[in-house]
Amino acid sequence: MEEEKSPRQLRGLYDRVNISVGTLNVVIIALSIVLVACLAFGISHRGYQISFDSLGGTAVEDQKQMYGELLQVPEAPVREGYTFTGWYRDKDLTVLWDQDKDTITESMTLYAGWQE
Amino acid sequence: MEKQAAKPAGDGNVLLRMEGINKSFPGVKALDNVSLTVKAGTVHALMGENGAGKSTLMKCLFGVYNKDSGNIYLEGREVNFKTSKEALENGVAMVHQELNQALKRNVMDNMWLGRFPKVSKWCPLTSESKMYTATKEVFEELEVHVDPKTVMSRMPVSQRQMVEIAKAVSYHSKVIVFDEPTSSLTEEEVEHLFRIINMLRDRGCGIIYISHKMEEILRISDEVTIMRDGQWIATRPAKELTMNEIIRLMVGRELTNRYPEKDNKVGEPLLEVKGLTASYSQLKDVSFTARRGEVLGVAGLDGSGRTELLENIFGIATRKGGEIYLDGKRVLNRNARESLANKFAMLTEERRATGIFAIRDIQANTTISSLKRYKVGPFLSDKKLSESTDWGIQAMKTKTPSQKTQIRSLSGGNQQKVILARWLLTEPEVLLLDEPTRGIDVGAKYEIYQLILNLAKEGKTVLMVSSEMPELLGVCDRILVMSGGQLAGEVDAKTTTQEEIMTLAAKYA
Amino acid sequence: MADKKIGAKGQAFAQLSPKDKMKKVGDLLLNNAMYIIIILAVIYISIKVPAFLKLPSIVNVVSLTAAKLPIALGIGGCIVLTGTDISAGRVVGLTACISASLLTTTFKVFPEMTSAPPIFVVLLLVLGTGAIVGLVNGFSVAKFKLHPFIVTLSTQLIVYGVILMYLKNGTNNGQTLSGLTDSYRSMVTGTLFSIGSVAVPKYVLYAIILTIVMWIIWNKTTFGKNMFAVGSNEEAANVSGVNVSRTIILVFVLAGVMYAITGFLDSARIASANAATGFNYECDAIAACVIGGVSFVGGIGRISGIVVGVLLLQIIFAGLNFLSVDANMLYIIKGLIILIACAIDMRKYLVRK
Repeated sequence: MEEEKSPRQLRGLYDRVNISVGTLNVVIIALSIVLVACLAFGISHRGYQISFDSLGGTAVEDQKQMYGELLQVPEAPVREGYTFTGWYRDKDLTVLWDQDKDTITESMTLYAGWQE
Repeated sequence: MEKQAAKPAGDGNVLLRMEGINKSFPGVKALDNVSLTVKAGTVHALMGENGAGKSTLMKCLFGVYNKDSGNIYLEGREVNFKTSKEALENGVAMVHQELNQALKRNVMDNMWLGRFPKVSKWCPLTSESKMYTATKEVFEELEVHVDPKTVMSRMPVSQRQMVEIAKAVSYHSKVIVFDEPTSSLTEEEVEHLFRIINMLRDRGCGIIYISHKMEEILRISDEVTIMRDGQWIATRPAKELTMNEIIRLMVGRELTNRYPEKDNKVGEPLLEVKGLTASYSQLKDVSFTARRGEVLGVAGLDGSGRTELLENIFGIATRKGGEIYLDGKRVLNRNARESLANKFAMLTEERRATGIFAIRDIQANTTISSLKRYKVGPFLSDKKLSESTDWGIQAMKTKTPSQKTQIRSLSGGNQQKVILARWLLTEPEVLLLDEPTRGIDVGAKYEIYQLILNLAKEGKTVLMVSSEMPELLGVCDRILVMSGGQLAGEVDAKTTTQEEIMTLAAKYA
Repeated sequence: MADKKIGAKGQAFAQLSPKDKMKKVGDLLLNNAMYIIIILAVIYISIKVPAFLKLPSIVNVVSLTAAKLPIALGIGGCIVLTGTDISAGRVVGLTACISASLLTTTFKVFPEMTSAPPIFVVLLLVLGTGAIVGLVNGFSVAKFKLHPFIVTLSTQLIVYGVILMYLKNGTNNGQTLSGLTDSYRSMVTGTLFSIGSVAVPKYVLYAIILTIVMWIIWNKTTFGKNMFAVGSNEEAANVSGVNVSRTIILVFVLAGVMYAITGFLDSARIASANAATGFNYECDAIAACVIGGVSFVGGIGRISGIVVGVLLLQIIFAGLNFLSVDANMLYIIKGLIILIACAIDMRKYLVRK
């Protein structure tokens, strides 16, 4: 009886909301459980994936590392006729990854720099 | 008294019995222990002024509103419909005053909406041919000459109404409610409608017929139930009633003390309207003069152009022609802002839809039209805002816990006072009030009347539209009567009678 | 006085029947479910990684909040009008690219230029750009009566196209813009003050100033009051003499200006700008507004709510970042947070119906 259909008062995006409070409660609780589950899943699978694109050189294995850690420097890749100049943040090889200072803050791919 | 209306159960003749129905809205008791008994094979007219509770009663029957208490019996069996679909399936149908139809779709789509026939048990596709023949059958029975494949929007309103009636018939309804069915029909179409109603009656249906038109009622109905202020007043055989008797029962109440003493002095002419014609409504060539200190009433039936008149003066509807003069100077009033600057103010009819900002507080609702007054440099002064709001609350005697209360938690009467205060803060000369007391309880009405008269005493002009005739007679000095979008006449409130106004209101209807 | 209020409330609560008490508590829990989850998550994170509560991390969260605040303040107005603005992120991107292309030492986009124009000229240019996009949005919403979602969807695409073409200009060939001038970078990321060895960047101050300005606009001006009125009942606002169209247009223009400021600060903050800059920023901003109680019902919202919303979102995401939770999962979590926040917001207004 409490939820009688009174003339429309509210407008806006909820103008045509067609759900009872009871159902909405269930939805909120269900979504909250899903959210907590996602958080739990994310936390249990924590760690950032660091991939290496050697751009024509020998392949380098992916690493999984935690926030704020330094990169565990992998063995330098090899490419015939070139010398390895270091790992870069971007494909255009403009930002060099400083192995002593830069810390990991996200999943990322590093690109190999080469010099003829 | 109510007990007499409800016949003992088990009377085989009785189709529908509603007993002791109560329904309250915040601040208003819309239905107070109302009873209604409809016998099979009769036309039962339901009469009352606007706001008497007729449509609320019907909405309770159809489950649009949940009744607070009371019982409804259909053929002796208690029913409690939750939706109008459920009511339809149980043989209770309604032909609405405002047609709820899918205008872009054709006739048969509308007829079978929600129950489209299937090709067969095994094929879930809808069958156009079945729909077509079934529609044709019903139309032939009712002598309606419409192709079931016509698109609704291409048909005149009268034919659309016939479709609605045909729909009700196609459900094999036992009880059919007609809500003001003739308001948009020509005389010929009315005859046709009456033939159909008589046919349905002879078949043993119970018809509930809601209308304002006395002649119609006396012609077609067998019994008449009259309601007033949400209460059952009388149920009589139509044969025993005369038009005057009905009006007396509908209006009924003592006029003394329901209105404050009129002590306003009518002065010089202030507002002059010449040949006002609207672009998108039927308002045509309305001219009148209103004086300082005068309360000028506007009477007429629903849809007679009363609201449109005010909207056109205030500039929120588009004008086709006509001129407005204030104090002899022409004003344009092309939109609400301009009208405000020209010292006009308008209280709209639909308080919820176009009046209040439901979720905003009293202060925001009071000051929105006069924000310029509270500026200090480019900023608004909280002090000035709350002072003006306080003034509004005190002057209107608004009952509210504080300025910061959301307006939607107030009763209808108090909401109306807040909006009145909003307009008074703009210091208007001309106030256009559209149904200022609709949905307000009797006590608050008196206070609103007092406020209106006080304004007149200050030399302002008040134009007041109302469906309640006693209210116009009690508060106004003169009354304009609208009919079919035109000005049908002008009467002096002191000497006129309700009959005279009603006759004028029917002039072009 | 506050004590009295709480006391009275407590008393009223004590008088309720056990069933009503359950209902009240349930209401309270559900209406604040979002906050509860976030607070619990933050507690968990700070136990697991104590460094999260250390000064550098806190300053980091505050700086991130400051960076994301202006865009949320802009979108907040659109939501008050029962609308939204999904072009916001791209406008941030465009303005960031414009700033980065002009206030640079390399001039890849305009090779014929030799020295960077004065910063305030660029700032004005960028603000103008944001305002123009806002004007287009606002005009279409106010005059065509289109839903803001559709309007801003189209401007979002248009702006994205413009960004891509802009970055192809000159010798840049669509690459990331970097090499910003020192004066530009230090104006934005320079040290405001230091707590120990941790520097608080200057853009925190700018965000505070913007917050104050927006608070004044929302609460102390005719425009602000009109905005809330239009948001809660457009028809009534029109009848009350409010210039509805102008109000709507102004809200969107103001929002556009706020996005432009975000873009201007962002390119200096990140020290580069490219086509992906600003991508999906509007999602965070809308989420922050809804969490902060700016309701899609329209006509409801507070600046303080938006600040709290942005802060909460940044805390939870910085925390998850600390835990090294994968970015892909963060998208899912963000989406869920928006959905739950909307459901809770809806619930508040359904109950009162």
